[in-house]
Amino acid sequence: MDRRQFLKAIGGGSAVAGSTGLWFFGTEAGRSPDSYTGMKNREGGYQTFDRKKWAVSNPTYDKVGPTSRADGRTDVIFARMGYLRRYDKEKGLDSFPPHVRDYYTKHPEDLELDITVRREIHQKRAEDVKKYRNEFILSKAWSSAMGAVGPRGVNGPPEEWDFPRGGASTPYKMKDPRQTSRLIKKVSHQCGSTLVGIAELNPDWVYKYPMNGGRGFKANEPIEVPEHWKYAIVVGVPMSWDPMYANPPYGTSNDAYSLSRIVAYRLTAFIKSLGYAARPHTPGASYDLMVPPILVDAGIGEQGRHSIVITPELGCNFRPSIVTTNIPMEADKPIDIGVQDFCKTCKICAEQCPSGAISKGEKETIRGYERYALHSSKCSNFWSSKLGNMGCRLCVAVCPYTRKANWLHKAALNVTMHDPTGLSDHALAGMQELLYPGQEPQKYYMPSMGGENASYRPVPWWLKTEDFIDLPDPEEPTTRSSE
Amino acid sequence: MWFFTSGAFWFAEGIVFVLAITGLKVWMEDRNTPFGLWKCLLASLWMLMLGFTIAFIGTSVGENEIVAAKKGGIIFSVICFITGVVVWRLLRIGRVKIAPGDEDEEV
Repeated sequence: MDRRQFLKAIGGGSAVAGSTGLWFFGTEAGRSPDSYTGMKNREGGYQTFDRKKWAVSNPTYDKVGPTSRADGRTDVIFARMGYLRRYDKEKGLDSFPPHVRDYYTKHPEDLELDITVRREIHQKRAEDVKKYRNEFILSKAWSSAMGAVGPRGVNGPPEEWDFPRGGASTPYKMKDPRQTSRLIKKVSHQCGSTLVGIAELNPDWVYKYPMNGGRGFKANEPIEVPEHWKYAIVVGVPMSWDPMYANPPYGTSNDAYSLSRIVAYRLTAFIKSLGYAARPHTPGASYDLMVPPILVDAGIGEQGRHSIVITPELGCNFRPSIVTTNIPMEADKPIDIGVQDFCKTCKICAEQCPSGAISKGEKETIRGYERYALHSSKCSNFWSSKLGNMGCRLCVAVCPYTRKANWLHKAALNVTMHDPTGLSDHALAGMQELLYPGQEPQKYYMPSMGGENASYRPVPWWLKTEDFIDLPDPEEPTTRSSE
Repeated sequence: MWFFTSGAFWFAEGIVFVLAITGLKVWMEDRNTPFGLWKCLLASLWMLMLGFTIAFIGTSVGENEIVAAKKGGIIFSVICFITGVVVWRLLRIGRVKIAPGDEDEEV
């Protein structure tokens, strides 16, 4: 074989070897544990996005008029549900205290959804649970395990609970706010947080009235925003990726809720140990403020069409907590990664949402700020109807930004961030619909409501009950805790 | 970090890429077709597109996104085939006829 023949043979062999290598690269990139962002994060290695490059002076929501604060008693569905058991058909709206009556007078559709529809749904659900509960034995057990550990809640008013030893402590003098921010971020990661950001707290985000009179606040007494709630430290951790894609029925919020809570309480303890005030606001419903706009202010991400904040690292697959504090820090700036433009084009979450809670239209003015409306009664009615674990999270799973960290999805994110024309938004949203399709929305419902208990993606192998357990007769009465 | 997502893999991939282009150049020249810089770049671009297609399908399979692997695979493969035909014709530009009766002849 002469030199030229040798080069041709080597060239041909290289082409085959290179192509084969790319196949193995692809499959490895697709299933690599490294693409499950946030599942190991103590050194902060997953907050890799260069936020300074995309920082903007003003947040990506618009203030368009006089603002008002949300009423935690009625604007928050979890708090509103607390009043529903008082409802008496004979008395009608008179069953409720004046503020709830006012709310339902302004939102009559919510009254129908919160009471009549919910009752019908719960009756149907009770029947379906008996028939289909076997499918969800492992996922419910896993959810229960993930929620088994958590700190004790806040049980005092801010002027007492937030301060070390009830306010008797003298804080250490911090040398430099910028250095303190660095320290707090490092400690947040050490506490287990994947993402962390810092904002100066905008009082507009604090509830006008507390959600349910807990956390040291008296019911129906307005919250005076305490002076020591100067900063908001935002922390967030992802939900386990594979079960998250198997939402609505198989995923859970408990894994991220639990860790997010633990991080916030650890951070609170750290700050209090330095003599400063700190108060955690944590999931599921232990808040004195609205979380998404604070995430935006802290540069964690941008609020999407589905009202959830979209981050460059995790998409919207994360659960945040907030610690309000007075330790002097340098706040982060908001970022603009093109989510507003993308969400204008992409309506996948709205089209996939079985309840129709996510707006397909334009942004609306809500309490003086422009954003996409979310119909919380519709959302809540769906997720409390479905079988399996509590909650839905389908909008998280279908969002094109919620993709694992491999070369393919990082490249798509970079294209949409760098394209000023918006053309790539159309192309990428179209490709998302074509290549990563969801189910027909009706299929996500339980069978008695015309659905199939469908999930966005198949259940992970380790949550397939039938592969591990001899299934009991579903009609057999049971006292197992998973039901 | 596994091998195929490591820097070592991309180092090896770079070497085989250069060898493949070199082999193509020699092969084309042996068929009396000049293979200058622009042809080299054109062939490289097409090979990158082919590489993207293979990696896309592999990644989708790895992620268990079978619909993406199938649909994306078909779409990108068709694009690769069509552009491949065009690129092949462009690469043959300048081929010299050396003997009568050579049926592959083209100028």
